[in-house]
Amino acid sequence: MFDLDLLLQAVVSGLLLGGVYGLVAFGLSLIFGVLRIINFAHGAVMMLAMYATYWLFTLAGIDPYLSIVLTAPGFFVVGVLLQRVVIEPNRLAAEHNQLLLTLGLALFLENLALVLWQGDFRTVRPSYAGKFFPLGEAVVELPRLVACGGAVVMAAVLFVFLRRTDVGKAIRALAEEPEGALLMGINVSRIRAVAYGIGCGAVAVAGALVTPFFYVAPDVGESFNIMAFVVVVLGGMGNFVGALLGGFIVGLAESLGAALLPGSLKQLVVFAFFVLVLLFRPAGLFGGGRGR
Amino acid sequence: MNRRAFLKAAGAAAVLSAGPVVVRAQGKEVKLGYILPVTGPLAFEAQLSLNGLQLAVDEINNAGGVKSLGGAKLTLLPGDTQNKVELGNSEAARLIDQGISVLIGPFSSLVAYSVRQVTEKNKTPFMLLAAVADNLTEGGLKYVFRVQPNGKAMATLTMNNMLEMARQANVAIKRVAMMHEDGNFGTTMGNHVEAFSGKLGYTLVQRIPYSLKSPDFTAELSKVKASKPDLLVISGYYGDSKIIAETASKLRIGVHALVGLANAAYSNPKFIADNRELTEQLFDGNYWHNPQSSRAKVVFAAYEKRFNSTLTSHGVQAYTVMHVIKDALERAGSTDRDKLRDALAKTNLADHILPQDAIKFDETGENVNASPALLQVQNGRPTVVGPARFAEAKPIFPVAKWHG
Repeated sequence: MFDLDLLLQAVVSGLLLGGVYGLVAFGLSLIFGVLRIINFAHGAVMMLAMYATYWLFTLAGIDPYLSIVLTAPGFFVVGVLLQRVVIEPNRLAAEHNQLLLTLGLALFLENLALVLWQGDFRTVRPSYAGKFFPLGEAVVELPRLVACGGAVVMAAVLFVFLRRTDVGKAIRALAEEPEGALLMGINVSRIRAVAYGIGCGAVAVAGALVTPFFYVAPDVGESFNIMAFVVVVLGGMGNFVGALLGGFIVGLAESLGAALLPGSLKQLVVFAFFVLVLLFRPAGLFGGGRGR
Repeated sequence: MNRRAFLKAAGAAAVLSAGPVVVRAQGKEVKLGYILPVTGPLAFEAQLSLNGLQLAVDEINNAGGVKSLGGAKLTLLPGDTQNKVELGNSEAARLIDQGISVLIGPFSSLVAYSVRQVTEKNKTPFMLLAAVADNLTEGGLKYVFRVQPNGKAMATLTMNNMLEMARQANVAIKRVAMMHEDGNFGTTMGNHVEAFSGKLGYTLVQRIPYSLKSPDFTAELSKVKASKPDLLVISGYYGDSKIIAETASKLRIGVHALVGLANAAYSNPKFIADNRELTEQLFDGNYWHNPQSSRAKVVFAAYEKRFNSTLTSHGVQAYTVMHVIKDALERAGSTDRDKLRDALAKTNLADHILPQDAIKFDETGENVNASPALLQVQNGRPTVVGPARFAEAKPIFPVAKWHG
């Protein structure tokens, strides 16, 4: 019954998958930390970024990884505009209204994609899309490894950005003490928009890194979004390193669950774990959450 | 007055005021109603069915209509369900009030399950279209008919076709693994493959239901590989089926064949065009037409000309259903719903474009000879390889590439 090859493969693919969950979760975590909203539109923005990657590849022949140079700043701008036009005017509304607002935004964007590009599944196939290499008896898919590596790099970049730059320090100040930040002369409304923009830019990077081994469709964001929520809660809202570690934990739990348990129990493992963490460590496993 | 009553009243009023005008203008006509989700998430697929109905109606009318009714022309009355149960019921009731002889539709099994009560109460023949749930013909109903294979026929006949092919190739199929999406469709297929295992002498060594939204199937497929199956059967939709086939290929899954079961991707021309290398030699048991039929070629050409796209299996089914109705109208010589129902029950239609023998209904209204085709992607084209008498080409089996 106990099969070492199977176990090795499950650990490898769990870690790779976990990196992707972490990647998607960064933006979500940042947006929550600063704006205090659960951004249900996150998966939809990722979907839009995947379409952007698809069209850049199909129409202009731009490699998905290279296209990040265009999509990340592009979606930063999209994020700033969304925050200015849709989120900011409702900032003082009741919390459930803000939830419904981002949910409505997600539905709007998904249906917009459905109208613009139909429900067709599209694929981006650069030359490396099908590449893989053996690791012992296990198989490592190259594009998934790149995405996982991208997650680690992005965690590091965001970490340094928040510690070393003025904007980063302002974001942290705002996340930790909104009123204090305001009193210190920080333009908090601008920082909120910047944070939302960075969140969208980060998920655009995630979308570009995922596209070579996945497919693009209007509801594709849902595949990653739910797990990203779990990851953010596990890692502690607003904690990047926690998000990355949370991603690895969820990916491993899911993959080992699939390998060792019968049927579709893998989701059960993840969500049982999720509920346990909420019960016993509501601020997240890595404590760094900046919950009020 | 509730919504349904309102619609009934409105429909009746419309008939009363419009009736005499129609009779004067057109002479004899046979009114047929369809209910399809022509708007909403299934709009694209519903349109494919509607095109098939329209093609057959035009063909019949241009050839002189229903002869036993003095050349009466067929008229299609539209109904939109938006894939909602309550709209299915109210649209069906409205169309029945407008005097249709037969109701056709409604695509989704959930809507069909409810609408069949409306048609039964109003003694109106109900020709199921695209709805495949096994239980739609259960319950002693008299007015429900289904031409296409239901879920059970789809699963059992596909497994049968596969095993027969293996026997011809002298390959033993003892161990079967199955992955299916965990919704109604996949679970039904999984249940039948499991129930059928004893009767056909294979063991179901793995049965893995999965969520459509799952972004990775590596661990599941590693588990499948470790159980050393001869065959991997997959009932899924588009994106999940793509990732499963890709991952199975990378893991060198080591089976004789990957077989789709009513799979939304594996015999889909677009999926094949997008994934040429991956899809080559994939099998799929699915709704199809009879490639040996010369009439099918004519129908495909006519469809291409009229709609500027290729006739799909949804269109084939709809086209066939319309001809089954026309055949019954000829024999009944009447638009009376009860006479028509009796004529439908006695259907024995050999001239059709499906991969099966004559269309006949059993006492529950199921087509006794309903059969899926076994397809294999060969040179980038879904090719019928079974049952043998309908095959266009010999199957390539076992498939060497899945052994890596």
